[in-house]
Amino acid sequence: MPLLKIDDREIEVAAGTTVLDAALANDIEIPHYCYHPVLEIVGSCRMCMVEIEGMPKLQVSCNTRIGNALPDRKVDGMYDMVVSTKSDIVKRARENTLEFLLLNHPLDCPVCDQAGECFLQDYSFRYGRAHSRFEDEKRVRPAEDLGAGVVINQNRCIMCTRCVRFTREISGTGELFVQQRGNSTKISILEDKPLDNLLAGNVTDICPVGALLSKDYIHRNRIWNLDRQPSVCQECSVGCNVDIYHKNGKVFRTSARENLDVNGYFICDTGRYSYHDYEAVERVTSPMIRKDKKWQKISWDGAFKEIFEKLGRKKEGDSNNVAGIFSPFHTSEANFMFARLMQNVFKERAVIGTLPLPKEEEKKFPGGFRISGDCSPNWRGLTEVSSYIYEDIFNELKKQKIKLMYALDDGVNRELTQEWKDLLRNLDFLVVQTYAMTPLAERAHLLLPGAAPLEREGTLMNDSGRIQWLRPVIPLKGSSRPDWKIVMEVMNTVGKRELDYSHVNEVLAEMNERIPAYEGVTFFKLGESGMSINEEARES
Amino acid sequence: MSDFKPILTEHIHTENSHTLEFYRSVGGYSALEKVLKTMAPDDVTNEVKASNLRGRGGAGFSAGLKWGFIPKEGDKPKYLVCNADESEPGTFKDRLLMTKVPHQMLEGIIIASYAIQAQLAFVYIRGEFYSEYLILEQMIAEAKEASLLGKNILDSGYDLDVVIHRGAGAYICGEETGLLESLEGKRGWPRIKPPFPAIEGYLKSPTIVNNVETLANVPHIINRGADWFRAIGPEKGPGPKLFCISGRVKKPGVYEEPMGISLQDLIYDRAGGITKDRKLKAVFPGGSSSPILTAEETEDLKMDFSGLASVNSMLGSAGIIVMDETVNMVKACLNVARFYAHESCGQCTPCREGTSWLVKILTRLYDGNGTRRDIEMLLEITDNMGGLADFSLGSFGKTVCPFGEAVSWPVRSFIEKFENEFVACVNIGGAVV
Repeated sequence: MPLLKIDDREIEVAAGTTVLDAALANDIEIPHYCYHPVLEIVGSCRMCMVEIEGMPKLQVSCNTRIGNALPDRKVDGMYDMVVSTKSDIVKRARENTLEFLLLNHPLDCPVCDQAGECFLQDYSFRYGRAHSRFEDEKRVRPAEDLGAGVVINQNRCIMCTRCVRFTREISGTGELFVQQRGNSTKISILEDKPLDNLLAGNVTDICPVGALLSKDYIHRNRIWNLDRQPSVCQECSVGCNVDIYHKNGKVFRTSARENLDVNGYFICDTGRYSYHDYEAVERVTSPMIRKDKKWQKISWDGAFKEIFEKLGRKKEGDSNNVAGIFSPFHTSEANFMFARLMQNVFKERAVIGTLPLPKEEEKKFPGGFRISGDCSPNWRGLTEVSSYIYEDIFNELKKQKIKLMYALDDGVNRELTQEWKDLLRNLDFLVVQTYAMTPLAERAHLLLPGAAPLEREGTLMNDSGRIQWLRPVIPLKGSSRPDWKIVMEVMNTVGKRELDYSHVNEVLAEMNERIPAYEGVTFFKLGESGMSINEEARES
Repeated sequence: MSDFKPILTEHIHTENSHTLEFYRSVGGYSALEKVLKTMAPDDVTNEVKASNLRGRGGAGFSAGLKWGFIPKEGDKPKYLVCNADESEPGTFKDRLLMTKVPHQMLEGIIIASYAIQAQLAFVYIRGEFYSEYLILEQMIAEAKEASLLGKNILDSGYDLDVVIHRGAGAYICGEETGLLESLEGKRGWPRIKPPFPAIEGYLKSPTIVNNVETLANVPHIINRGADWFRAIGPEKGPGPKLFCISGRVKKPGVYEEPMGISLQDLIYDRAGGITKDRKLKAVFPGGSSSPILTAEETEDLKMDFSGLASVNSMLGSAGIIVMDETVNMVKACLNVARFYAHESCGQCTPCREGTSWLVKILTRLYDGNGTRRDIEMLLEITDNMGGLADFSLGSFGKTVCPFGEAVSWPVRSFIEKFENEFVACVNIGGAVV
């Protein structure tokens, strides 16, 4: 393998690696704008120039590949390439490129949404001049709406063209292009063909400056006032990694978080803006019982007692069977506890399954990005913690004339067919564990307030078998409790158990023992990027 | 020098010299016959390499060497592109060759295509050249009719099609990778190199891009041999050369002379001297991208690659623009800078931002609102965009394509060589003359 000397470090790299990739992989910063790991290399920003021994001019590190030098061409008899990222010439080149980039830039950082996470700011701070030598009028151009909730502030654009290449190479939709030439170049769309694809919001993430902005976040907050929570998107079973920015229980923004084993660098707009789905819903934040067609708040103890009364007493005959409705929208931990409740407490009385699964056609984009056809985040996790369940329990409920049901609610996006509505109406007792007044919850006799998606903690397994750590972004509302805990308390009440897990990691530890696929899985090991299913343990 | 007889332009004054019939009547396509019947592709490349024919488009790279870069292995198709996007200010030689003897160029195209085993070649012609385009279309039709193009050319088993592609009016599409992008139907933005076109060119396949005049030389090299060619002019860049003379001369035009002719001869003899017999002030020797020369520097100057290198300028496209004593150099410099600001493609930072910054400062200076500091700034900006090839300043290769140098070299040379006129603008409050 070629030996690279970069500044005072020696690094062995695979032949063909670019200088920039080698540097970044080794935590050596080379400033860059137009380079993006999955987009075509264009070398146009001229920010990543480095000095290479034996080359007569500075080279862009993004397009300079390291190969095996012939023995007599090695520098100092050993290095295949010697790179300086800090020499005076390099420093001056960066300073000058930054000066060029800022000539027409409005320097309106005080009102710019990118401020605080802007590479013009960061690089100017680290590599730039303190003063501009430009004395003329700046070029001023109006902002434009590009469609799909994305606007461009043309004055801040540095023409790195990441966004153009994104729509060509990743979304494959090609709405963005460069219009005009020279100093008048700008990112543009055709009038009748605005940005219109499910990945459009990513251009606001990959824009290194404050040019491309999501209308959803414009002037809503300052990024340094928000807390960042690494999390997992729950809108389909790909499980894209996201960063959710929030403050005081309110979410302001979702951005893609890099995970090469899952979503690469991007997320879809469904996931990006999904946090709004939970803002307008009618929340259930206290246990409630329906009396005379009206909801009445009751205490948790009252709720558990009611469940014990309605479900816990054993009677003869099929009519005594209890349907347990699992939910692929819930964490594996909640479903695991639910499986234990069904199998160990209700035992032969339990008939277990799910509502019909929400399915759409899978969408695949030219850049490899995928939106799963399975719209739930944890179907695979659910099947690991509880096998032999009915995927759509409807027929079984009909056949067995089930009258009692305990359901984990799928959530706000779930719709019910008329058939299901009729079936639910005829139940003798329906307890629904939910966070919102969904169509299912509306038909319940008893409501147990659980956590909303952004309040949950536990693990999710995506459709390729990767287990990821779902971390809570905002706190639980009212007197609602974690779903695994509610199920645990139902087990204690109905099944006379004395389970006393105080944290979800104790549930996961229990899963380690009982569920082969989860052997050795801990939150610590999952970290920010998750881990693949333990196939070996699972097979044996 | 007077015993030199034009080679490329020998027949341009004959009526209908652009027709196939005429071209054949003066021995046209005999080189092609020789190539197809007696030479292997590598023989052709080697002959051209031995002739030391250097590119006539501007960079002056050895044509044979370039052809040799085409990979022998691999199943990708190979392409030849004739660069007829002649746009360099002061340059109008390719236009003459296409108007008057297009078949000479086409013969060169077919021979070069054979040498690199291309089955498809393009002529990328400047969009503004509409009547020239019509001539080329006629040329193609005639050649097809005569079995000089298409399947099984002259019963040799070699197939080649040639497509004429019109540009849309952008200077940068004369840069070979900008040209290829444009040819692919994309925006004419130069590509980052490597890979070079010989490895990944048109549609990511091996491609050779040669200038019209370069290709027009090829049939003559095949017919008369590399030794004959090398004997014309200097060893390091021999051959006949078209010089375009414009500006303040009595007889502007295209003159074919051997490489190495003196600039004085070109200006005072061929072009009849300076208009109204004024004094020579400055000359662009190779289009507006070449560093400008003072009258003193033009004395005893040989017009070839090394002669111009010796005065830190370049032969470029051999577009000689002559300026007399009445020309205000600040205005001329502004004019050049404006051209480049207008033609900058806008892809890479230094050129996109630097060209218009230069124009802003030069305009200010010319209008009398400039300062001494502005003059220094001009030098610094040109340095940051490309500057002179002085690596101690780190001022070279700052842009994706040579455009950055093409604007900063001339602007810088104006200021360095005629600084007094820039200073006068500051002191007097505007350009006099």
